[in-house]
Amino acid sequence: MPTGEIFFEHERWGHNLALSAALHLGVTLAIIGYAYIAYSGHGANWGAGGGGSAMEVSITSTIPLPANPVQTQSVLATESKGLSKSEPKTAVQEPEAIPIPEKNAKKKPPKQPTETLRKPQPEPQQQASNVAPFGEGGPASGPYAMFNNGAAKGGFSFTGGGGDFGTRFAWYVRGVNQKVSENWMKYEVDPRITNANRVYLTFDIDRSGRPSHVQIEQSSGVPSLDISAMRAVQRIDTFGPLPPEYPGSKVSVEFWFDYKK
Amino acid sequence: MLRSLFLSLSLVLFSLHAAAQDWIKTGTNLGVEKIRIAVPDFKATSQDPRNTELLKTFNDTLWSDLDNAGIFDMVSKSFYPLTQIGAPTDVKFETWSAPPPNAAMLVFGNLAASGNNMTVQGWLYDVKNTASPQILGKQYSDVATTQAARVIAHKFADEIIFRLGAGINGIAETQIFYVSSRNGHKEIWGMDYDGANQHPITTLGSIALSPHVSPDGSRLAFSAFTGSGWEIRMFSFDLNRLVSFPRFAGTNLSPAWSPDGTKLAFSSSRSGDPEIYVIDQSGANPHRITNSKGPDVSPTWNRKTGSQIAWVSGRSGLPQVYVMGSDGTNVQQLTDQGYAVSPAWSPNGTIVAFSWMRHYGPGAPGAQDIYIMDIVSKQWVQLTHDGGRNDFPSWSPDGRHIVFQSNRSGSLQIWTMLANGENQKQITNSGSNSEPDWSWK
Repeated sequence: MPTGEIFFEHERWGHNLALSAALHLGVTLAIIGYAYIAYSGHGANWGAGGGGSAMEVSITSTIPLPANPVQTQSVLATESKGLSKSEPKTAVQEPEAIPIPEKNAKKKPPKQPTETLRKPQPEPQQQASNVAPFGEGGPASGPYAMFNNGAAKGGFSFTGGGGDFGTRFAWYVRGVNQKVSENWMKYEVDPRITNANRVYLTFDIDRSGRPSHVQIEQSSGVPSLDISAMRAVQRIDTFGPLPPEYPGSKVSVEFWFDYKK
Repeated sequence: MLRSLFLSLSLVLFSLHAAAQDWIKTGTNLGVEKIRIAVPDFKATSQDPRNTELLKTFNDTLWSDLDNAGIFDMVSKSFYPLTQIGAPTDVKFETWSAPPPNAAMLVFGNLAASGNNMTVQGWLYDVKNTASPQILGKQYSDVATTQAARVIAHKFADEIIFRLGAGINGIAETQIFYVSSRNGHKEIWGMDYDGANQHPITTLGSIALSPHVSPDGSRLAFSAFTGSGWEIRMFSFDLNRLVSFPRFAGTNLSPAWSPDGTKLAFSSSRSGDPEIYVIDQSGANPHRITNSKGPDVSPTWNRKTGSQIAWVSGRSGLPQVYVMGSDGTNVQQLTDQGYAVSPAWSPNGTIVAFSWMRHYGPGAPGAQDIYIMDIVSKQWVQLTHDGGRNDFPSWSPDGRHIVFQSNRSGSLQIWTMLANGENQKQITNSGSNSEPDWSWK
């Protein structure tokens, strides 16, 4: 009968285990020891070391850094003799469209009838900006208009369903328009901008005529233009009291600014 | 059923809301030219023979007040329809709003004297708005004298200007104070803004200069040569006499009121070299705010904020206009050439008017003109060009007019103009008149 012998051999693992453990321990100690030896020295010198040689900077001219921004000529530093030179008239001023109390008077229709009215008026009167003001200055409601450069086009639209303030009190709207335009200091806009989208502002006028809640409804995309528009309204103390026949406690205004240099 | 109820309710609510608050939509540079206004003569509505003379004064004054305001384009009387109007029922809109008058606004009314009194009724109509044309309807009554007629015309004109000028008060009732030597000595005089009613205020029998009225109109500060030198003196309109003000050593000149009326700035040479001092309006607490070689004179306060002072300094050579904080800090130079004097700050705080000889020196033309400069951007505009020497500009409270002195007519007289240089007109004629100061209200 074949017999197999199962040899049950005691593995002499005890010995191997001890050897393995010892080796593991050794490696661990070696790692710890290396870390200790290699880095402890640096820790002590961290930042305290030899006369501030913490950083060494080397100028590398090979790295393509962006160039310094060129200093553009500031408006304030100009040598120009102020506003005593004529500039070519760039655009026709759109005349006041108030007296058309029609429904939704869009921009186009008011242009027609009022243009004929405007013919006898001298043109230079509108371009108050860069012309020597003697006798030809713009609306004499203030010299402030003379500091505003450039022509701008605008549109005049009556709100369809927002009440009839514009038709009943056209003279008040005209006053608001004039006052804001006078107080708009166009030199506050970044001088590099020549053309910009329209910025729409909204604000309220209370019964005493004071503007409040000035907000940008639609930005022009040019921050300096938006800010100069807001400042124009914020400069104003009052537009004059609201007409006594108007029953509301306030009027809301949407005002747009067209900037063109 | 419920749904339609809800719908109608919401519609009602929406319309209520819309009625409570209106919208205006408008934009920049939409042709804000001057308003075309028609001002036909007021009609007499009583049989009193004095009406003719009263009406003449009233109509002339009203016309020139509105003409002077600077915001109207007066429709010439030759375009008016022939029938005279005196009451709202007389007004036919088309005859006024269509060419030839082509007016946007119409002022009309009537005057009636009876017994000692007279009554004036006046209306301001928007003739392009036939549905609701009335903007103003006023009635005035006073004694039946030409002076009262003038005052009523001034008041009515100011009301019109206030309405149509976007809330800025008209200047028809303001005064101008100035120096006149027509009685032999330089004294302080006062007059209406259009040159009417010229009357003396001081009778010192010496030399009185640089009058400046207080913001509330109750006092007038000026500098006068007394036996011991130049002093700041104070005149009270309430008491109608001089009131005391401290005396300082040296030469003390050109007092200027802060816009809140609590302080005065002036120049004093008590320390040897003229410097700018600030003092309480009672005369207490004088303190010096400039400290440099070269004269520092002619201060003027920022009329909007009261936190800055512009003045003339010779620290860099010829007189130039500078700006500093009212405590003396943050000095900035505004002009850098020629000979610049007499700064005057505008009521809105953004512009300084001054007198400048831009080309000064041998061989130079030597014209001295009024200029205005925007303080922030330092852009300037020349307002007078007609030669002669133009000096001492002063702003009207509406910021639209400047009064100044000019010798272009041959003698030194007071002139007014719009703040863009238009409409320069002479308002004094006799003697020699100078150093005008426009009242604050």
